[in-house]
Amino acid sequence: MIVPMEHLLILSTILFLLGLVCVLAHRNLIMILIGVEIMLNAVGLTLVGASAFWQQIDGQIMVLFLMAMTSAEVSISLAMVVYLQRCKNSVDIRDFDEMRG
Amino acid sequence: MILLLTLTLLLPLLGGIINACFGNHLPKPMPVIVANGAVIGSFLACLGCLSSASGDGLRVTLFTWLSSGSFQADVGLLLDPLAAIMALMVTGVASLIHLYAAGYMQDDSDQTRFFALLNLFVFAMLTIVLADNLLLMFLGWEGVGFCSYGLIGFWYRNTENAAAGRKAFIVTRIGDLFFTVGLLWLFALFGTIGIEAINGQVAGLDPTTITIISLLLLGGACGKSAQLPLMTWLPDAMAGPTPVSALIHAATMVTAGVYLLCRMFPLVSLSPIAMGVIALVGVLTALYAATCALAQREIKRVLAYSTMSQVGYMFLAVGVGSVSAAMFHLLTHAFFKSLLFMAAGCVINLAGHENDIYLMGGMRQRSKLVAGLFMVGLLCLAGAPLTGGFFSKDLILATAFAKGDLFHQAIYVIGIVTAGITSLYSFRLGYLVFAGDFRGEELPDDLPGLMKWPLLPLALFGLFGGLLNLPHLFGGYSWLSGWLNTDTDVLHLSLNSEYLLSGTAVGVFVFGWLIAHLRYRKFVRRESGLISAFLLAGWQFDAFYDRLLIRPFRGLCRFCWQGVEVGLVDGLIEGFARTCISWGQALRKMTNGQISNYLQGFIWGLLLIMGWFLLRAVA
Amino acid sequence: MTADTFTQFPVLSLLLWLPLVGTLLCLVGYKSPQAGRWLALGTTTVVFALSLLLAFSLERSAGWMLFEDYSWIEPFGIRYTLGMDGISLLLIVLTAFLQLVAVLISWDQEKSPGLFFALILILETGIIGVFLALDLVLFYLFWELMLIPMFFLIGVWGYKRRVYAAVKFFLFTLGGSLCLLLAVISLFLLHGEQTGTYTFALEALKQTDLSFGQEMLFYLCFMAAFAIKVPLFPFHSWLPDAHTEAPVAGSVDLAGLLMKTGVYGMIRFAFPLFPSAAEKSLPILAVLALIGLFYAAWIAYLQTDIKRIVAYSSISHLGFVILGLAAWNQTAWEGSLLLMINHGVTTGALFVIIAMIQRRTGTREISQLGGLWKSQPNMSAFFLLFCMASLGLPGLANFAGEILILIGTFKSHAVWAAIAVAGVLFSAMYMLRMVQETIWGPCCEPFDKQDLISREWLILIPLAVLVVWLGCYPQPILDPLREPISLLLRQGGQP
Repeated sequence: MIVPMEHLLILSTILFLLGLVCVLAHRNLIMILIGVEIMLNAVGLTLVGASAFWQQIDGQIMVLFLMAMTSAEVSISLAMVVYLQRCKNSVDIRDFDEMRG
Repeated sequence: MILLLTLTLLLPLLGGIINACFGNHLPKPMPVIVANGAVIGSFLACLGCLSSASGDGLRVTLFTWLSSGSFQADVGLLLDPLAAIMALMVTGVASLIHLYAAGYMQDDSDQTRFFALLNLFVFAMLTIVLADNLLLMFLGWEGVGFCSYGLIGFWYRNTENAAAGRKAFIVTRIGDLFFTVGLLWLFALFGTIGIEAINGQVAGLDPTTITIISLLLLGGACGKSAQLPLMTWLPDAMAGPTPVSALIHAATMVTAGVYLLCRMFPLVSLSPIAMGVIALVGVLTALYAATCALAQREIKRVLAYSTMSQVGYMFLAVGVGSVSAAMFHLLTHAFFKSLLFMAAGCVINLAGHENDIYLMGGMRQRSKLVAGLFMVGLLCLAGAPLTGGFFSKDLILATAFAKGDLFHQAIYVIGIVTAGITSLYSFRLGYLVFAGDFRGEELPDDLPGLMKWPLLPLALFGLFGGLLNLPHLFGGYSWLSGWLNTDTDVLHLSLNSEYLLSGTAVGVFVFGWLIAHLRYRKFVRRESGLISAFLLAGWQFDAFYDRLLIRPFRGLCRFCWQGVEVGLVDGLIEGFARTCISWGQALRKMTNGQISNYLQGFIWGLLLIMGWFLLRAVA
Repeated sequence: MTADTFTQFPVLSLLLWLPLVGTLLCLVGYKSPQAGRWLALGTTTVVFALSLLLAFSLERSAGWMLFEDYSWIEPFGIRYTLGMDGISLLLIVLTAFLQLVAVLISWDQEKSPGLFFALILILETGIIGVFLALDLVLFYLFWELMLIPMFFLIGVWGYKRRVYAAVKFFLFTLGGSLCLLLAVISLFLLHGEQTGTYTFALEALKQTDLSFGQEMLFYLCFMAAFAIKVPLFPFHSWLPDAHTEAPVAGSVDLAGLLMKTGVYGMIRFAFPLFPSAAEKSLPILAVLALIGLFYAAWIAYLQTDIKRIVAYSSISHLGFVILGLAAWNQTAWEGSLLLMINHGVTTGALFVIIAMIQRRTGTREISQLGGLWKSQPNMSAFFLLFCMASLGLPGLANFAGEILILIGTFKSHAVWAAIAVAGVLFSAMYMLRMVQETIWGPCCEPFDKQDLISREWLILIPLAVLVVWLGCYPQPILDPLREPISLLLRQGGQP
């Protein structure tokens, strides 16, 4: 392995935290979606790294699944964002709080 | 014979069922014909199997009603001398009353219901009479209660009538509770509920147990026969049609209590205490009801109180140990009292549907026949010498006197005083209704023939009923006592004292008549005093029971409902539910719909868990 | 067809799953109201006919008349075990009959009839399953299956306060059921630890060796579920609300069947599994039954809603049934089971009539009713008959059961019986009050003057015939009960 495992883990942690902060801090739905994607990619990176580290194919298969699932998820969620935009003419999540108790 | 006995019982049932199910689809006179045919057929069948009743009697078991473990109740009939004489009276009087009712009810639109219930009543009454076990008897016992309920409230549009029916049902049911407990106890003791089997085994029983069971049976009898303290329903029951009063509340159902005690006499007679209580209840009721009858204004209420009083005499007869005297009075009373009621129905019709005797008077000009028949009934009731009522009442009092001890002497005195009062109120009724001029206003109705001629045989039976059991004193040979096979009933009195007793009886009769003659021969409108108001209201027993029982009962119900059910049980449950809801309300504030809020919570949770693991790793 | 044919063919499963097939068909055609009601009628009729066929062709015996046992979820020791003895048979016939009545009386159901009848049919499967299951998990499954359709029947098709009533009903019974589930699982584990074989089979679990404390705890958990269903005082408070708010078919099923599953659970499961705890609890059971008997009667006396009067009368009558169980002898138990069946018929009939009254007058308040005999003599006559049966007039249904209970109870505990006798008086008081205010008295002028229509005759005549028949000749009902009851009593250990 060229890159040491520790570096990889640190990178993916940073990526994950960036994504998390993005989700928590932004009010814009699209930015939140981007944050989610970044977190997913961080997980994917960890999986690939782990796969290389233990010389097991499972991690890479998992990542392939993850990519396929992510693309499906993005297409659905973007469609929903478009729908929400049409409904309320806004993509600010503060406008979508109907599910409060 | 067996077929005839079965028919005696089943014909009225069949008639009742036909009328109840299809009566409204039959052409007009058919329901009446079916009902009358059924009862008359039953009477003829009863006559037919009379001959086999003597001695050991006739038995039929139709089918097993209930059987479980050692318990078995058959639908079994027993026609012994006692049952035979009673069944003959019931079917005979019922036939005549059905005929009368055909005339009385001819314009009523609801005839079929009336005749269906009347037929069912006869069936239930015959079940009491013919049952060979106590449970079947209880079926009849409750059955007559139901029919009486339905018939008292027959004219249901008037709430009071229906309420009177309900009162009758519930008050008699109080008595039935005692009967039920007695029945259960007897089964627990003997392992059987057959009447003969029980009567055959009582000898070795513990006296206290016998006394308690006898008193329980007396409780049942008191309810059905309107004796103290369960007597308040009978005067109100007069709300029903007159044939109903004649059949149910004079001749048959109210005497069912007496019949029960006679049936269970071998058991009851073993307890001197119970016998004393029975005699006391009887004589006190007789006195109570006679005094009440003195002040009544409605003709049927006078007769109702007199019925109560006469049934009291029958209880007295059982209490002093003479079944034959009780049955003798039961028979003569059935004849003359149903005669009186039916004649009263005629009088009411003639007076333009007026019940109040103060508004009658001069009725003898309206119909000589009705007046004559009514007077025959009154003479029997008052105990005029040589009528049926005279002999039967005399026998009861003489039996009480013959017992000799102080208790029975006192009972005799009360009884003879009551006889005087009976004579007084009888003639009061006679004078107020028939003497003088008519005081009402309305035009009289015409009477259908069917309402008159069924009274004639009853009048004859009433007048000559004494022949059934004519004492030796008058040259008779006590046929009824012989038929009932009750040798123990024979009086042991010297001829002198018998003459003396008869003389006293005649004396009080004349005395009562004289007072009535002086006081009521000319109608004077009197202000009703305190005493007569007290007597009119039946010694205020209704008000007393209302205070003592009904109001506390309603209070108890209200406490259970509002206090326990709504307050405590539901209150606890709903309080618990409300606590849960308020917790939920507090917690729901946390979900405000902002995703970042939720995620924040998620992160804090994650940090907490990771911190926990870190701490564990460090430690 | 002979009895042998039945042993070859899984007839119990057929009986059990037929209604569910009907449900599926109803759901498929739920858009058409005609399809729903005819399918429901067809299914219930076939089930009723099948149950009658079984009743007439099977040999009476002490053990199982029919038995089915298949492996199901083997790793957890759960088997699909069904068994039918005389008790189950009678209760299933009653179920099938009352469901037929329930379908007929809800014939002109207007609010989504397809779903309504589908729920009634699921309910039928649930109830029959409870009466057949001999595996505790299977039993629990059916026990909960009864709950769900009933919840929707009350909550969707009920009257004004239906949601309150449905939730109350659901929470009460669910609370009881959870206790039952806990006890079942613990018993399963205990038995497995002791013997090494993990099983939910009733017969095997009866052999479990329990300390008295454990037994009592399990018994109380079981009884919690059953006592709430019965309902025994003081767990009854869901019942008046559920009855009052439920649609007529729901009331018929609640009173006629659901309450009986509680008693059935006691005699089939609670008593035989935990005999010594049961024996200790009998006096308490009797006292609660007696309190319930009087308390419910007294409350019924003041109610102004006729449906509520009948609901409280049910509590009162079930007090009688439980008293009979507590007396713990053959006669009393036979009386209890007989009264259960009789009560199912009479109370079901009363609810049916009340629905008819409500359809004609638009009210159930006694202050607004009265004099119905004038406009509807036939309906009123049936009403009178059923009320008389309910107040225990000899010769009509309830009396036969009550007197057997009293006789049995008097033998073992004279005082209990003597007190219970007075209950008969109070039942007369509230019933006669209801009759008085409904069919006697001045007229209330119903807006619909129609007397019974032919469909209503079709419902009422069989009910009336049954009420009279059960009162006059209950022997055909008592015979199949005798052997199974004596077997259960022996297993429970006669005190």
